[in-house]
Amino acid sequence: MLARRYATFTGGIDLPDLKDATLDAPVRPGPVPARLRVPLAPCGGPPAEPVVAAGQRVVAGQRLGAASDDAAVDVYAPATGTVSRLTRVATAGRYGPAHSDAVELVELEHLPELPAEPPTAGWRELAAAQVRERIADGALTTFRRGAEPLSGWIERARAAGCRVLIANVMEHEPYVTADHALLRARGRQVAGGLMLLGRAIGAETVYLAADRRRTDDYHPAEDAARELGIEPVALEHKYPTGADVMLVKILTRCETPPGGSPTDVGAAVVDAATCFATYAQVACGVRPSGRVVTVAGERTSRVGNFFVPFGVGCVDLVGAPGPPVLHGGAMTALRCDEATVTSPASDAVLAPAVETPPHPGPCIRCGWCVAHCPARLNVAALNDAFELADVDRAARLGVRACIACGVCSYICPARLPLTQRMNQLNRAVGRVADG
Amino acid sequence: MADELTAATVMRTRRLPAFEAPFLRAPEGARRVFLVTLGAACAPLLAGVVLFGWRAAVVACICVAACVIIEHVTYRVAHTPALGGRSHAYLTGVLLALTLPAFTPWYVAVIASAFAVIIGKAVFGGVGHFLWQPALVGRFAVAVMFPALLAPGDWPVLAQNRLLVGDVTDARTPMDYRGWQDRSAPEGADAFRLPHPRRALAKLTNRPTDAPPAYSGLAMPRLEMPGAAPAALHAPSPDRLPPMRDLVFGTRPGGIGETCIIVLLVAGGYLVYRDYVRWQLPVAFLASAWCVAAVAPVQLAGPSQTVETVWFPLLVEGLDVGFTYVNYQLLSGATVLAATFLITEMSSRPATVGGQVIFGAAAGALAMGLQLYVTAVPIPAYAAVLAMNTFAPWIERMWRPRVLGRRRLAWLGSLVHPFGERRPKR
Ligand code: SF4
Ligand code: SF4
Repeated sequence: MLARRYATFTGGIDLPDLKDATLDAPVRPGPVPARLRVPLAPCGGPPAEPVVAAGQRVVAGQRLGAASDDAAVDVYAPATGTVSRLTRVATAGRYGPAHSDAVELVELEHLPELPAEPPTAGWRELAAAQVRERIADGALTTFRRGAEPLSGWIERARAAGCRVLIANVMEHEPYVTADHALLRARGRQVAGGLMLLGRAIGAETVYLAADRRRTDDYHPAEDAARELGIEPVALEHKYPTGADVMLVKILTRCETPPGGSPTDVGAAVVDAATCFATYAQVACGVRPSGRVVTVAGERTSRVGNFFVPFGVGCVDLVGAPGPPVLHGGAMTALRCDEATVTSPASDAVLAPAVETPPHPGPCIRCGWCVAHCPARLNVAALNDAFELADVDRAARLGVRACIACGVCSYICPARLPLTQRMNQLNRAVGRVADG
Repeated sequence: MADELTAATVMRTRRLPAFEAPFLRAPEGARRVFLVTLGAACAPLLAGVVLFGWRAAVVACICVAACVIIEHVTYRVAHTPALGGRSHAYLTGVLLALTLPAFTPWYVAVIASAFAVIIGKAVFGGVGHFLWQPALVGRFAVAVMFPALLAPGDWPVLAQNRLLVGDVTDARTPMDYRGWQDRSAPEGADAFRLPHPRRALAKLTNRPTDAPPAYSGLAMPRLEMPGAAPAALHAPSPDRLPPMRDLVFGTRPGGIGETCIIVLLVAGGYLVYRDYVRWQLPVAFLASAWCVAAVAPVQLAGPSQTVETVWFPLLVEGLDVGFTYVNYQLLSGATVLAATFLITEMSSRPATVGGQVIFGAAAGALAMGLQLYVTAVPIPAYAAVLAMNTFAPWIERMWRPRVLGRRRLAWLGSLVHPFGERRPKR
């Protein structure tokens, strides 16, 4: 795709890819669910006010909930159905499962499919303000862990003066191929959405960053991207290249300050699904009603990339016997229970063959966690700080730079749950530092 | 998961399995790490058994058995579970055997094992917590307790035709010994009794000032070029150094695993290949020892029966002689064994690469310094490793790579302000 050299980062690791089962799978409609439990707070935060009542018949695209403030979005019915009750569900929040109210729909009809509507004329010429207006109209969210209203995200990027926008299609986690499948199936549209987002936040440079091994599949997206003034880049495969902080470091050579986000160094990062939803909404006027989800793992026979409406139960979707069902890539996943449903943040629902977690032993000081930590943390020393419950020391060692990538837990021969411990230290440090 | 981070909750939960991401695990567990290291350590042990005969195998068996049994008993008494089964006890036993000479009596081996396991490991709380390399603790203890027995004096080496099956204690001092090769066993014995190269080298470079030197250790008549070698190679038998070939293949006096440099390098390379050892650590150790030997002053015979102190022995008699001399210093002791298997012990070295380089370089310099100047220390390389082990936690704390996103030397600021890195204000 290119002949330019980019920076890299120390540490990181070669993970098993485990994507073969879904890599060539086209995006198909998912299994027909018996019910949808549409979360009223897909972004966490305050839930939308429900505007429907039990027993009411709603059609696809009808409003189910009205946003109460800027941190929430309106919620629309992904399919036609009958409201049976209000219930509680869990979605994937940034730091763990986020619980929220939900509207349960049964007797479903008209389940959504991957949008393929022709674009309206003149979408390329829309002014930045018009793009932002249409995004706000469409109740768009970002399509990643810790989803937030897309309008809010754009405002934040604009306020921080972001000059660089990066579409992160690295998909560095094992099993996950949702963005890959989307980029194969709707490459031109993803590139179009990326261009619109770049215009909305006023970015000067827009990158489309993809895995070097997969670029042969991305020619339509690549051509469209060049045509729209986006720079496609292919990067080496190394976990966690696809972490936002790492990607920003690779492409801009700026290091995000510990505990900050890439917008602090003037770079905004989105994923392919957000770009596609932006395109569908802004250029075609189609509200998001679902997303591409990878279903994979050794314990399920229902393997593939499916277009799944929001609110499908993860456990039903994967159809695997017994726990654990994982939400998201295996390195950073959350465990699903019956209450977990798909939301904009669901890129994968997995049922991998995982062994029972081993009992951690004492640290043998092999130094592998230190050598492989992409944040250059002395994880072994931080583990000591954890075992002594010494939050001050952890803060001095820089635990807030941890990006929760999971490399240290993966590699630790003593089987210590290091990532989890870093997260705990991080929260403790955050509590002390922020007040 | 308990959110409050207090010593009590940590103590309660720290050995419980965690059902959280990541759900993938690398296949190598601590037990496998120890067993693979053990396998690598068996290579120099086998070489030692070939070179020093069945007595080396007996010493190794005693060490391993004693370590395993003593560790089992201590953990029973202390009611603590041993990590990774007994794999680390096996490893400690083999490493200890590598450092002992083949003629070590059984009780010395048992005492060394007891010190290694009890003082070296159990006192600190087992694997991962000890400060000093346990095998070296055992070796150091017996070096102190049995100085006469283990001092580097005249030590035996099996003859070519008695390898593996010979009895290494059945040794004679050979007359007119020029090298191990092409020399069959002395009449009625299995082994040659030869001066430990350390002692021979010390004679070259550290002779007492009042004793008139019989010859200049390093000096070599320029006429005898080519084939550079210190004059000691041509000296009369008792002061003669073995040929370099003997040092490389290990046919010279020394501990069971100390001598066979070639096998040590291969086994150490395997550990590097498996990522159990970062190459920077042994390289820093060996390089700094080499540099010290190349620079540090030695005492040489001057003209007309005087002794003069000369810096840069690498250069003083020409590069060829100096090079041979420095390599002799490096290869004649236990330095290579220390660099490959002992200084690299995971729990007793810093974890960061930078820390390891500092640690290794300091240990190498110290080892060579002791070897050159402190003849009273019989095990200079081991003593240096132990000494630096003591400082490893301190080096670990002092050497801090720049954390991602922090400014260079930001930790200086964090010394005064523990939360120097607040979240940037939006
Ligand atoms: S989870 Fe945090 S500490 Fe562990 S390797 Fe990743 S960045 Fe480093
Ligand atoms: S990887 Fe695990 S055992 Fe190795 S140093 Fe880090 S915490 Fe200790």
